Amino acid sequence: MSERESPVAPDEISVPPRVEASGRSALVAELLVAAAVLALGILILIETREIRVMRTYANVGPRVLPTIVGSGLVIIGLWLAVETVRGGGARPSTEAEDADVTLPTDWRAIALISVALIAYLVLLERAGYVIASALLFFIAAFGMGSRRLIRDLASAIGLSIFTWLVFTEGLSLRLPAGWLGGIL
Amino acid sequence: MGPFSDLLSGFSVALTPENLLWALIGVFLGTAVGVLPGIGPALTVALLLPVTYDLEPVSAFIMFAGIYYGGMYGGSTTSILLNTPGESASIITALEGNQMAKRGRGAAALATAAIGSFVAGTIATLGITLIAPPMVRVALNFGEAEYLALIVLAFTTITTLLGGSLARGMVSLFLGLAIGLVGIDELTGQARFTFGIPQLRNGIDVVTVAVGLFAVGETLWVASRLRHDAEQVVPIKGSIWMTRAEWARSWKPWLRGTLLGFPIGSLPAGGAEIPTFLSYSLEKRLSKHPEEFGEGAIEGVAGPEAANNASAAGVLVPLLTLGLPTSATAAILLVAFQRYGLQPGTQLFNNNPDLVWGLIASLYIGNTMLLVLNLPLVGLWVRLLAIPRPLLYAGILVFAGLGTYTLNYSTVDVVILYILGTLGFVMRRFDIPVAPAVVAVILGPAAEQHFRRALQLSQGDYSTFVTRPIALSIFLVALVVVIAPLAARLVRTLR
Repeated sequence: MSERESPVAPDEISVPPRVEASGRSALVAELLVAAAVLALGILILIETREIRVMRTYANVGPRVLPTIVGSGLVIIGLWLAVETVRGGGARPSTEAEDADVTLPTDWRAIALISVALIAYLVLLERAGYVIASALLFFIAAFGMGSRRLIRDLASAIGLSIFTWLVFTEGLSLRLPAGWLGGIL
Repeated sequence: MGPFSDLLSGFSVALTPENLLWALIGVFLGTAVGVLPGIGPALTVALLLPVTYDLEPVSAFIMFAGIYYGGMYGGSTTSILLNTPGESASIITALEGNQMAKRGRGAAALATAAIGSFVAGTIATLGITLIAPPMVRVALNFGEAEYLALIVLAFTTITTLLGGSLARGMVSLFLGLAIGLVGIDELTGQARFTFGIPQLRNGIDVVTVAVGLFAVGETLWVASRLRHDAEQVVPIKGSIWMTRAEWARSWKPWLRGTLLGFPIGSLPAGGAEIPTFLSYSLEKRLSKHPEEFGEGAIEGVAGPEAANNASAAGVLVPLLTLGLPTSATAAILLVAFQRYGLQPGTQLFNNNPDLVWGLIASLYIGNTMLLVLNLPLVGLWVRLLAIPRPLLYAGILVFAGLGTYTLNYSTVDVVILYILGTLGFVMRRFDIPVAPAVVAVILGPAAEQHFRRALQLSQGDYSTFVTRPIALSIFLVALVVVIAPLAARLVRTLR
């Protein structure tokens, strides 16, 4: 893996749509996955040494499984790298009905959904469940390409209020009311 | 005494109006989520767990069983009408069923799938009824080593059979094991991999893992390459009833599919993929019209659909009798049992016979309901497929956030959910299956307990794993499961 080729992400594969992602950049992306698996294994092995062990348990103590898992990940990471180099490159999963694997990655959609998710996390306990959920729904739908804004906004508010009522009134779970505390 | 008197008392539990209503809600929800892309039975049960807290356990499980069976029925409807299989076990149905639909026999394809699923589900439930009690008696003799061996076997089968390659299956399995390590070690009380975050001391909830990998991961994945050329739903034409010739060509595949699916599902040999493929090639070989295969042969829908359903029912045998989940949905069902303080296995059959037999009886009832519901309501299910995808996945995210937050009312869980969602996205991108990870999160800690307790009992003597004949044979089978495909590949390259 040379330095110059690094930040390679699948979106940089400038192949036209409907062509299987392939070539050197795909190989590098895959090797990065193998490296990440390897790194996780090493991290687990290092962290395992932080686990305190009492003498009586020395034989079968709390470090045994972490050691197995850490070593396993190191071996599997290397194995995956070898498999990749020898040409067993990954084809993206074809299990999702709505995903067309021949398309290049749409990073704009991913970015917008990430914004929606982060907004939800920040707002949930401040602005409350209804506002956070409605925003999550609306931005995520927009991110996935929906442009019927009024319909989407109505659906977002409708679903948030409906689930709020079902959970708090029907099932008496407590969700944060937030800014709408006086109204709901 | 005997299984049938137990079953009869089970029916007396399941046939109360209240529980019939829960079964109906279950099969209805199950079919809906089976039809809809993006949500499966595992995710649905996971999201419903907080909702069912106040419910009687037996009612909750009757509903979950309905969701489990309903999901299978709904999945085949989508495959036939849309030609985009949601799971690998439906690839065959999509292949033949969609061709039938395009040739105007969509109604017959739906009918043979539904009736075949009913036949298979009923025979397989009968199989559960007969096999579960003797299995439970065998399990009485199982010690720590045997349970460890069974878990290792489940790991190997689910890993070797899913995903693009063995290495990728192993990545998923070990990621799940790593996630399962987080939290307090139950035997010593030591915190492991909590990185000083108090919320991690109780470990990462399997529900968060399932919702993250399935719901958030799937949404990100679909959003990253959303199908622009929306698949056309093939309109259903023709008589909803199968012709005499279609009946004649269907009933034997149903039975053969069941005979393939149930044993493979219950063994635990990992999922419905193998039996559906086996059934398809068997029917193709036995058919008098092999040339029709690929163009819409009814046998190619009838057999694999029956095999799919029978193996799904078979998965319940190791789950109920040994507490051993061999699919992602079974793993979530095991979590549901644990939420109610129940441990599937010998104890469950002895201490909660009403629950177990009520659940098994409800499987017969749910199957019948599905047969009655499915065909007349197919118009409704088709309409579900018309939900705009952005709204569908936005809704999935709302429920994912809600379900995760209400686990502990903590935004830390939401952060973990996002991390796992990103992981699920990357796994899909690189063809790493997610099901082994979900199963490993729940079985990893269990395996560790059995392993360490076995060694404590033997005072550190590792030979305890090879001197017990049952444990040794299960370990050997697990070894064969891993080595056989590798050996086969080696032979092929040497030739």
